[in-house]
Amino acid sequence: MPLKLDVLGQQIEQMTRAAVAEDRNGALERARQLMESVDPAELRAKLDERTVRLPWLVADVGDSLAGAYAPAPCPANHSVVASDGSSVAPDRHTPVRFYVINTGYAILTYGERPSATLDSSPNLYFRDEDLYLDPHVRSAPVEGSRLSAKMCLAEVGALWEGCQRVPGGPFVALRDGSLITWGLQSEDPAFVQQQFLGEFLGHLDRFVEQGIPVFSYISYPGARDVVNSLRVWLCPRGTVDCEYCPTSESAQFCRTLAGITDREQFGFLAEGQRSDVFGSKSAILDRYALHRIQFFYMNVGGEVVRMEAPRWVTGDSEMLGLAQASIYDQGLRSGMYPPYPPALQEAHEQAVISAADRQAIEVMVERALAEKGFTYLGSAKASSKRRRAV
Amino acid sequence: MRIGEIIESTSVLFVSESLELRQSPALGSLLRVRISDDGDLYGVVCYGETRSLDPGRRAVRRSTSEVYDDQVYRENPQLEHILRTEFTCLAVGVLEAGGILQGLPAQPPPLHFSVHTCSPEETARFTEDLYYFRLLLSASLPVPAEQLLANHVRRVYGERGGDDNWLRRAAQEVGHLLKQDYDRLMAVLYGIDQGSSPRAGGVSTK
Amino acid sequence: MMRERLGLVTDGAYNTGLTVRLDAQCSTEDLRVGELVVVEGQSHRYFGMISDMQLRVTDPRLLASPPHDAPPLVTEALAGTGTYATLEVKPMLMLDLSVEPDEQRGPQRVRTIPMHFSALYRASEMDFATVFGKEGGTNFAIGTPVPMEIPICLRLDRFVERSNGIFGQSGTGKSFLARILLSGIIKTRAAANLIFDMHSEYAFDKQTEDGDWVKGLRELFGSQILVYSLDADAAARRNVDVTLTVGLNQVEAEDVMLLADELDLTATTAATSGLLVDQYGKDWLRQILGMSADNIAGFCQSSGAHPEATRALQRKLKEVQRRGYLKDEVPFSLIDEMVTALGRGRSIILEFGRHDTPLDYMLVANIVTRRIRRLYQQKVERFEETKAEADRPLQLVITLEEAHKFLSPAVARQTIFGTIAREMRKYNVTLMVVDQRPSGIDPEVMSQLGTRVTGLLAEERDIDAVFMGMSGRSFLRGALAGLDTRQQVLLMGHAVPMPVVVQTRRYDEDFYRVMQGTGARRDGLEVTSADIWAR
Repeated sequence: MPLKLDVLGQQIEQMTRAAVAEDRNGALERARQLMESVDPAELRAKLDERTVRLPWLVADVGDSLAGAYAPAPCPANHSVVASDGSSVAPDRHTPVRFYVINTGYAILTYGERPSATLDSSPNLYFRDEDLYLDPHVRSAPVEGSRLSAKMCLAEVGALWEGCQRVPGGPFVALRDGSLITWGLQSEDPAFVQQQFLGEFLGHLDRFVEQGIPVFSYISYPGARDVVNSLRVWLCPRGTVDCEYCPTSESAQFCRTLAGITDREQFGFLAEGQRSDVFGSKSAILDRYALHRIQFFYMNVGGEVVRMEAPRWVTGDSEMLGLAQASIYDQGLRSGMYPPYPPALQEAHEQAVISAADRQAIEVMVERALAEKGFTYLGSAKASSKRRRAV
Repeated sequence: MRIGEIIESTSVLFVSESLELRQSPALGSLLRVRISDDGDLYGVVCYGETRSLDPGRRAVRRSTSEVYDDQVYRENPQLEHILRTEFTCLAVGVLEAGGILQGLPAQPPPLHFSVHTCSPEETARFTEDLYYFRLLLSASLPVPAEQLLANHVRRVYGERGGDDNWLRRAAQEVGHLLKQDYDRLMAVLYGIDQGSSPRAGGVSTK
Repeated sequence: MMRERLGLVTDGAYNTGLTVRLDAQCSTEDLRVGELVVVEGQSHRYFGMISDMQLRVTDPRLLASPPHDAPPLVTEALAGTGTYATLEVKPMLMLDLSVEPDEQRGPQRVRTIPMHFSALYRASEMDFATVFGKEGGTNFAIGTPVPMEIPICLRLDRFVERSNGIFGQSGTGKSFLARILLSGIIKTRAAANLIFDMHSEYAFDKQTEDGDWVKGLRELFGSQILVYSLDADAAARRNVDVTLTVGLNQVEAEDVMLLADELDLTATTAATSGLLVDQYGKDWLRQILGMSADNIAGFCQSSGAHPEATRALQRKLKEVQRRGYLKDEVPFSLIDEMVTALGRGRSIILEFGRHDTPLDYMLVANIVTRRIRRLYQQKVERFEETKAEADRPLQLVITLEEAHKFLSPAVARQTIFGTIAREMRKYNVTLMVVDQRPSGIDPEVMSQLGTRVTGLLAEERDIDAVFMGMSGRSFLRGALAGLDTRQQVLLMGHAVPMPVVVQTRRYDEDFYRVMQGTGARRDGLEVTSADIWAR
């Protein structure tokens, strides 16, 4: 039945009124001034002390917080390799359990010999060892965040494949979405974590072996790591315990800061400029060893995005420089506003599974089963969703 | 020369994808499909389109003050892979057992068969008889039939090496077919010959 | 046979004619209204005339915005499709092609029409020959069709059977035409001729407007021609054979009626002559001329005539009396001798010399003709009794210029010429009238003229008059209007199978040679049945 939009409308009105009520510009100004005034060494010390009791994620800071670095000129001959993935989740309404992961990659080469290679690779997973992390017990089915993790693995694998096909010259490997595997943090039993991470880090090992600068690109990031670090800086108490926070002026400011995202904070970056490199204090990263993820923010010309990479990449000034230059260059070639790297866009287009595709898969499975003499009615709910009879 | 592959096929029209992006055959030109060892199907190009392979994607502006036209393709190499050029042909006749029969074919051409350009001799041979003009005028086409016919006549005139006799015959045939519709007739005739001044760009008959 | 195809029959009715759609490459400008054309039906060949031409369009929108400064491609494309021309063709004769060649009777009257899409052709030389025959015998070449060189023949035997007319506004060469026709009649001996030569044009050499000298009939035919003259002095100078005198005794009342206009007599006055005849019989003229005032009064009392009218009549008649050629008493034998000569096949030209006023012309012509016709009537009646071939009177053609003076509605009933015209060939006498005002001629007389040869006419009423009594005049008008001022005539009527526009032959050295028999005959086209049969 049609949604009661008029009821919602009133509530939307209330919401937006509250949002604009806050004086954001003023707060942002103060936040940036605060960042400039920070003593990085002192803050580092403070962060090391306080970590245990912080309910939110903070960033590890280096020698500078408020820096802005212009991009180097992008080499005329260079390539960008990107990958993306898409999945069809296992459907409990079908008699045969399976899931599909489709990965796509795009290699765009610019310069004297421009070329493009676009490809995709679908995979149907139906074996027990793919469907369950513990095929004999079947207590850990691959779905939800585990499916996402599997997809992330597949994407990195595809990215690797793509990198092998680069015609030559400097290149950057790119994927959309974080390299920090948040979803695995809550996995229990631990073996799940082990399995995924093991594979994941194994992939990254290959990258470091070939010295391929691998980055992730996060558009419209919602992270607040760096701003949260400012809140720690601001906090007068020895141990940060927000439950017992006094209502002083700095406390007020702290609450204001809580509403500011990193991308807003780093809005001062000019087009093409990047911020200082920060470290993430996400717990899962403790397992990453040399691949510990660091990040920086960058103004790609229309928005501030978050770029993440293993520290062996961010630590290499050449790789870092190439990444910034090529991402900026991608933005210039984008044709959209705000810009989005064409390489990622094409990889996405290769990977995407449309509704029609999904239907086609269903039909193919149904038909294949029928040929073998296996007909089924499907679940009632599924049918009712499809047919929607009155 | 092979220039495309059939991707849609009906009794009246067939749509082909160009082998080369942005290189579709000229509007009004005559093309050939080799149906069998002794049978060719002839079609007249009546429409062309370049667009995204994926119907959901639309082209966006990619040029800048320094990068435009051909440069856009160099600077965005993925375009060659995500765009495709298609052209539509109207079936106008077949050549079989040594004879030309003008009209709709018995069957639509097979999907995925190649589309070839016609040599000047093949074009001259097919266009000797002008019966097929009716097909061009009466089909429901994506472009106005008068423009198509005018373009076609100009092309064939050129392919036939400036054959003034043929041009005259063609104009008279058009006059005959469109005698009841003066406006359409003028649209075709002026489309063929816009005037004697070279500036007008008309075909110059000797 | 090779003919130029013009178009296809697309419509038509027996009564109104055929509509032909002109082929795209044919232009109306290459055709003339009145031109002879041929339609090939399935079993008949039709000979007809173009009677009208029209321009058409298939889409009326073309009329609203016609192509302006269009390139040749556009006009060529439109020709024959968007734009086309039609001809109206009136079939006049048809040839039955299904008949065996030896049974072929030649072109007949049209009784049917061809089917759709029969082809129309321009007439070829063969077609003209089929219709008009070839030269020879009484087939006399009068000229050629406008674009060609073959002769169009007039059937002189049929020509002299009826009275005829030569018409055309002044300057159209009527007298040349008359000379040619007379030459033909004389040469072929189709009839004897009596020519009332008002302006002394026919007998001897005459200088034309252009300054050239043309031969007279006397030069051409020598002793075949007798030249009479009213003017004794002129007769002496010229090579005249006989001087004619006319007697008062030969003047009759009808002559006075005829001359009413010339003498400026009122009707009453003219009618008085009738009363005089009643009273005095044949002597009436002498009587009135000799009357004194008292005599007149006496006469008026006894007859009831009006005295003033009678006196006026006397005055006018005295004027007449003073004519040089009039004597009191002249025997009719002079005129009778003319008849004898005519009977032997001679032709007589009567010149008037200085007595060339209309009055003289009309008076003398009337008197002479009256006498001659009377003699001819006797001859015919005799022949009907004896039925002897020797008694058959030779056809006589009387050539009369300024015919409207003799044949106007007012006097047509009274003059001998009117009588002759109405009688047709009853007594083997017919007229050949030459006139530039056919509207002045009594319509009934006009409709009796069998063959009419007419040049360009300007006045509407003249044009109406010349077609009086002819069928199909609506399209013939177009043909008449299209004639060249000189040397082109429309020939129609009894002596030709169908109306035709002719470029008259020239009255020149070549003609002289042919007439005198010293020139080679022009090669006529041999028309055989095989040719007629061929498609």
